Amino acid sequence: MKRLVVSMGLFLLPGAGLAQEAGDAIRPITLLTQPQAAAPQEYQAAQIIADAWRKLGVTVNIRPLPGQEFNQVIWYQRQRWDATTWQMVGRPERADPDELTYNLFVSANAANGYDFVGYNNAEYDRLALAQRQELDLDKRKALIMQAQELINHDQPYGFEVHPYNVVAYNKTVWDPKSMVSQAGIGIRCTWTWINIKPLGAQKDVILNSTAPPTNLNPFNIPGGQGSWASEIVWDRLMRVGPDGLPQPWAAEKVERPDATTVNITLRKGMKWSDGQPVTIDDAVFSLVAPNFADKAPMYKPFVQNIASVEATGPDTLTIKLKRSDAAFLVSSLSKLNLAPKHIWQPIFDDLKNKPQTAESIQEEHPVSSGPFRIVRASLNQEIVLEANHDHWSHPTINRWIMRIMPNVEASLGALKSGEINFLADYTGDPEVLKDLAKSDPDIAVSQALDIGFKFIAYNERRPPFDNLAFRQAISAVIDRKLLAEDAWGGAAEPANSWISPAVGVWHDKGIVDRVPGGNLDAAKKILKDAGFVLVDGKLHYPKGVKETTEAYH
Amino acid sequence: MRRLIVERLGHLLLVLWVIATLTFLLFRLMPGDPTLNFLSPTFTDEMRASLLKGFGLDKPLWEQYLLYMGNLLRGDFGRSFLQNAPVSAILWDALPNTVVLTFVSLCIAYAFGIVAGAFLAFRRGGAVEAVAIPTALATRAAPDFWLGMLVLALFAFQLGWFPTGGAVSPGATTGSLGHRLMSGDFWWHLCLPALTLTLFLQGLPLLLMRATMLEVMNDEFVVMARMKGLSRWSIVMRHAARNALLPVVTAFALGLGASIGSNVVIETVFAWPGIGRVLVQAVQGSDYPVAEGAFIMIAFVLVVMNTVADITYALLDPRVSVGARR
Amino acid sequence: MRAASAIIRHLRAEPFAAVGGTIYAVILVMAVFAPQLAPYDPRAMLRQGRRIARYLPISPEHWLGTTSGGQDVLSQLIYGARAALEVGLTAAIAVVAIGSLLGLLAGYLGGWVDKVVTRVADIALGLPFLPFMLVLASLTAPGTRVVIVTVALLLWPNTARVIRAQVLSLRERAWVEAARVTGCSTGRIMFVHVLPQVLPLAALYGSVAIGWAILAEAAASFLGFGDPNTISWGVMLQDAYANQALGRGAWNWFTPPGAAIVLMVLAGFLISRGSEKLLFPKLADA
Repeated sequence: MKRLVVSMGLFLLPGAGLAQEAGDAIRPITLLTQPQAAAPQEYQAAQIIADAWRKLGVTVNIRPLPGQEFNQVIWYQRQRWDATTWQMVGRPERADPDELTYNLFVSANAANGYDFVGYNNAEYDRLALAQRQELDLDKRKALIMQAQELINHDQPYGFEVHPYNVVAYNKTVWDPKSMVSQAGIGIRCTWTWINIKPLGAQKDVILNSTAPPTNLNPFNIPGGQGSWASEIVWDRLMRVGPDGLPQPWAAEKVERPDATTVNITLRKGMKWSDGQPVTIDDAVFSLVAPNFADKAPMYKPFVQNIASVEATGPDTLTIKLKRSDAAFLVSSLSKLNLAPKHIWQPIFDDLKNKPQTAESIQEEHPVSSGPFRIVRASLNQEIVLEANHDHWSHPTINRWIMRIMPNVEASLGALKSGEINFLADYTGDPEVLKDLAKSDPDIAVSQALDIGFKFIAYNERRPPFDNLAFRQAISAVIDRKLLAEDAWGGAAEPANSWISPAVGVWHDKGIVDRVPGGNLDAAKKILKDAGFVLVDGKLHYPKGVKETTEAYH
Repeated sequence: MRRLIVERLGHLLLVLWVIATLTFLLFRLMPGDPTLNFLSPTFTDEMRASLLKGFGLDKPLWEQYLLYMGNLLRGDFGRSFLQNAPVSAILWDALPNTVVLTFVSLCIAYAFGIVAGAFLAFRRGGAVEAVAIPTALATRAAPDFWLGMLVLALFAFQLGWFPTGGAVSPGATTGSLGHRLMSGDFWWHLCLPALTLTLFLQGLPLLLMRATMLEVMNDEFVVMARMKGLSRWSIVMRHAARNALLPVVTAFALGLGASIGSNVVIETVFAWPGIGRVLVQAVQGSDYPVAEGAFIMIAFVLVVMNTVADITYALLDPRVSVGARR
Repeated sequence: MRAASAIIRHLRAEPFAAVGGTIYAVILVMAVFAPQLAPYDPRAMLRQGRRIARYLPISPEHWLGTTSGGQDVLSQLIYGARAALEVGLTAAIAVVAIGSLLGLLAGYLGGWVDKVVTRVADIALGLPFLPFMLVLASLTAPGTRVVIVTVALLLWPNTARVIRAQVLSLRERAWVEAARVTGCSTGRIMFVHVLPQVLPLAALYGSVAIGWAILAEAAASFLGFGDPNTISWGVMLQDAYANQALGRGAWNWFTPPGAAIVLMVLAGFLISRGSEKLLFPKLADA
């Protein structure tokens, strides 16, 4: 108590005496975010956090930027901005921590990769590379824990929350017991689409999507919602299972005799939708095609570590890797679509002399081997898939229909009226949905903690964000519980790591309570100890430091 | 009369050419990188350059312009950035939906407006007018998306009488326009957007009809007819209404052109797959070829309907001839 | 001054116009005295203890409740009048200025000037209003500037047409003839003698343009092309819509900004006597 009084007293001292000790006043900081209308939760979080920062004597302006300009500024003008709200979305492949661990914070990605905040720590680089190459699960786990602790110390981000995915369905149409919840994704997942059982005459899953996908082809990633369709239309050698771990899918067996070799045995009797058999040549082709003359840039990153692929028998192939890669099964084998060579080899040959890339190709009747087939895709209205009853893991439903409904309110109304029977894409207020379920006994709501996370990115290229104490202090004052309760309406968990509790093995339990400092008074002390000075309520740099950075405009 | 039509068509071509050129310049000279949507941070500079080349954005401006005008004459609007389908296919798919929505709504709005307007002219002054005219004006003063959302909230969410959006039920085969027009499902989905648009559109014909009726009723021939002892109602129906219709019919043609462009908001609220929604989505997603194509198409419809209205007016009204107009 | 007294006389003669004028007056007062009238800072995130005061219903503290962001709806409504007047008046002045000038030139000078103005007007009338605004907003920066520019660029032909017709008849009047004989320059006749005569008429057209500008701003905001930094009725509606005010039954949030827009636009219609003519000038003056 006494110490508290003393430290408070120091702050209450008239500024005049301290002014000589202080450097320049810190410029007004601009916190970028999406407009309230586009992302109400993020916007409100920004407001709450800006309020907290102001208590440290920092002048903060919130600046909403519309979608495209926002991306342009954050990704392509990396010297320009101070701090921004941002998010990493959950994808099945992110169940393995490698992708985010490596991409987000390794300094090699700072110039134009995913390390858009410019975080640079050689020790972290070492840890990230070591976990990537470590095939022993326990040792790799220890490395991931160390990495989380290091980021907790350095605070390159102000982590906010891990959101819950909230979805709903009509439980008089679908058997609740047939839903499969995938770790970090929830019941809106591939496993549910295959497993879901109708209770009555309605055998079509009709779900909504708030955004239109781009074209569906095995070498294009058609956006978040489009991926729900492409994941069940094209088979992959492996899939991320409900438990978050990769399991053989179109492969019967996957073996890793040593760190850089993967042996695969292909499942027998698979057929393309044009009647041709799926051969080992198709599998080899699918693994090497993204490298053809830069013609599939979206998938190229996933094959970059492949040195060679060779068919070793009628159903077997061997992949040689350039380096040991712990996440290869998830990040590559569970991601690359099996594409028919007899269709796509000619297309790639033709593309060689054209400026287009493979993503832009739209087949009239896409040929695939997965549990569903494309019947029709009018991208502004709906995508209609029908079950492939010949598939070895065939679904019990007849059709899978995704309606494009940009209006959240309308998709809620459509669920009530029965126009859709699965509310798969709900960007609205979770409380409204839960109220609906309370008043309507037919509606079941399901929520699952997401793999993704929301955060404030601090641009470490620009002072004072290059200062460790400053970052620790502004992170310490973020009231993550308030963010989860009010900004996200209770549908989120406080976060202090990029690894979600949804993937329990890798998540450092309790890290959310270990933010350095952790409250306002401690944050003030961190700043004071580092030489930052309050003058007339405004935070100044330590003695001798000039403000040379221009405010965002 | 022939000279008038030829002259008007000449003006039409000139305006179309200027608008096409303006559109081209608008889309080419603005800042921003249209390929941004395709780029991921993992792309190299070469990939970026190859994408630009793929969309023909590496050529000099004049070359792009010639290419663009040539393509436009052939009805080729290029390819969508996002959907990778020809823009013309996307537009031709959407335009009929917009035309049906607009045409149906206009017909109802004008039928109602003509009758109500005639009635109001008949009952000039008094309480009916004091209520009816501000009401008619207020529906026009309300933001149409707000009106649409109220309609949606009441009839779709609360009462559940009508679907919440789209043009057909999930999974229903969409088929050709003729096929669609024959299906009850399509008309069922049309109800709410058409109701909203009708509410928005009815004020104009109503007020126009009332005003011209009042004017015509003071004309000599009506006064003569009255002196001949014809009943008031038959005078109104047989003489006045027929003459008052002229400006209303012309307004219809103008309204068709104008409202195809202003439907963007209502189509968005009701997820109606028309050309307005295509434009909004393209603009929101920075799909410039689609935005450009949709814009030109809407503008062309507007210009053509303006000319049709001009010519109709001239044909119906003998007082108008070239040179002496206005 | 003559214009002002003409407008006042006009308001007295027309009860509809008087109602419209009253609405304008109320909105003007709201805009000017917004800081005094508004009970809260319209942007402030209000708290209840540690938590945020979200979705409060109507109460003595919050006459119109609060938003999802814990902001006072009434305060936003009052400040919204500023944005409405700003957009409306700027756009209207631009329309009146461009329309009067071109109408005056075309009507008085005639000949090729008239022809050129008419052709340019045809082009402006051939550009669809909302699509043009959306495209412009997406290519430049979203915000009120785009709304004003669009209204100014596309809505002047209506004003110009009426002014031109008026000028054509004024040109033949004796006093204009007299001015010409006494050696007044063409410019002087146009701007000193003729222009003041047509300005009241142009001002009436301006009041309709105010309405269009406000509706355009609302539509732009709704489609995500508004200025997220301003507090306007359109942005309020979009905010309410994005936060599912409808689904929550938060009529206290959703209705007031819509009603405010209706009233303000309606006021413009009511003021312009013979609204039907104004809504359809192309026919009215044919």
